Amino acid sequence: MDEKITQMLFQVLDELNQLRPEDEHLKKDLETPLAGDFGRLDSAGLINLIVLTEQRTARELGRPILLTDDRTLSRINEVFRTLGSLAGYIQLLLNEKSDG
Amino acid sequence: MEFQTFTVADLETALLSEDFWLTRTHPITKQKALSFCRNPRAEKDDPVLLVAYRDGQVAGYLGILPDRVFFNNAGYKLGWLTGWWVDPGIASKGLGALLLYKALNAYGDRVGVSGGSREARQALHASQKFIALPPLKGLDIRVRRNATETVLRRFPALKIFRVGFRMADVLLDEIVNLRGFFWERRTPVLQRLTFEYVASVDAETSRFIERHHQHDLTRKGKAEFDWIMTYPWIVSAPRKDPAGGRYFFSSIAARFHYLGVKVHERNDGMVGFFMLSVRNDRMSVLYAYFENRHAPAIAAAAACHALAMDVSTLRLYDERLVKSFSVLRCPGWSAQPISRGFFMSNAFADCPLADCRLHGGDGDFAFY
Repeated sequence: MDEKITQMLFQVLDELNQLRPEDEHLKKDLETPLAGDFGRLDSAGLINLIVLTEQRTARELGRPILLTDDRTLSRINEVFRTLGSLAGYIQLLLNEKSDG
Repeated sequence: MEFQTFTVADLETALLSEDFWLTRTHPITKQKALSFCRNPRAEKDDPVLLVAYRDGQVAGYLGILPDRVFFNNAGYKLGWLTGWWVDPGIASKGLGALLLYKALNAYGDRVGVSGGSREARQALHASQKFIALPPLKGLDIRVRRNATETVLRRFPALKIFRVGFRMADVLLDEIVNLRGFFWERRTPVLQRLTFEYVASVDAETSRFIERHHQHDLTRKGKAEFDWIMTYPWIVSAPRKDPAGGRYFFSSIAARFHYLGVKVHERNDGMVGFFMLSVRNDRMSVLYAYFENRHAPAIAAAAACHALAMDVSTLRLYDERLVKSFSVLRCPGWSAQPISRGFFMSNAFADCPLADCRLHGGDGDFAFY
C-alpha cells in the first residue's frame, strides 16, 4: 500500500506541476516540503494539492478521504510538512477506514 | 502557528480587553467588531473571526458574517467571508487555505463570498467547493468630473497646479448643476415625487419592504437595515488613525454614511424605498424595493439624489434601475458597466439560486 500511495502522490505532483511555473515545480521526492513553516506551496497551491489528492485517492485507492476536516487542519504542519508525511497520513486514514 | 476562533461572545469580550488590541496587526477594527456583535442574524456562539497567531503576532485572519438565505420559504444559515488576509511575509505557507477550510468547517460548508481579490477567487475556484452566481450587472455613472483627484492621482507632480484644477472642477460642477436643474424640470416623473429620509426603517417602510422582498436571497427587513445603518464598518474621519493603519482593509473615509429614502408619488402613495451609501464622492444604491412599473421613478430619484449630494459617481446594481436610467437622459459625463460577483458553497448547489434576487449590498458589500 505504501508504494501505491507514493506513486499516487507522484501523479498528484505531476498534475500540480502542470499548474505551476517551471521554476516552481515540486520534486517527486518524499522529502519535498509542501506547506507549513518550510513549505513551498501558497494557499492556491495547497488547495490544489488537497483537491487532487482527495480525488486520486478515491479513484485509484478506492476509498475516499477528507483532508480538510478539523482533525487534519489542527495538524497541518505535521501532515503537509513533506510529501512523505502526507503519504504517512493517508496511510493512517486508510487503515482507520479498514479497521472501522 | 496558533489558531483562535472568536465567536460573537468572544468578540464582545475582546472589545473590552486591552490585550486583544496590542498586536502589531489588528485582525478587525473596533467598529467592525461592534457591528459583528450587534448583527441581528448572529447567535452568541457563531464563529465570526478566525485568527492565526505566530509568536504572539497576527499572521492571518478571516472574518465571517453570519446571515440567512431563503429558498422556497425556507431559511438557511450561512456565513459570508469578509476580510481575508495573510501576512505577505508568510504567504507561501498555505495559511490562507487553512483559514478558508476552517471557515467552511465552522459553518458546515454553508459559506458565501461576495467579491474578493483575484487571489481569493483563484483559491475559491481551486477548492472546487464553490459555485459562482450570475454576477450583478450594474452601472457606474459619472455625474461630475473630479479633475483634481483624477489628474493628481495620475500625475502627482502637477500638485502645484491644484488651484487651477479646483477652479476647473467648480466650473464643470456649475455646468452639471445647471443641466441638472433643467433636467429635473423637464422630467415629468420627478415632478410627481416627494421624498422622506429615514435613519431607521419605520413601520410603513418595513411593511413595504416585506411586500417586495419575497424573491430576495437574503430577505432583509427592518432589523437588518437598522443594524447596517447604525453600525457601519467605515468611520467618517478626516485622517487615518493609528488603529486604521494596523488593519489591512478600509476603516476610515473622509465621508461615509447611509441614507434610507422613501419615495412617494402624488397619486400612488409610497412607491419605493432605497438605501444608499455615500463614501467620499461615490454614491451606491445598495438596496431598492419597488414595483417594476415604478422603476423609472426610482431611477430618477436616485439620479436626482446623486446630483444633489455632491458626489462624482452613482452606482446602480438593480437591473431594472440600470435599464430605466439609460432612457432618463440624466446629465452625466459617462456610464460604465460594472459587476459584482457572488459565490456560494456547494451545499447550496441544489437550491434555486438563479431564481433569487441579489442586491448590490448583499454579502459584505453594504459595509464598503
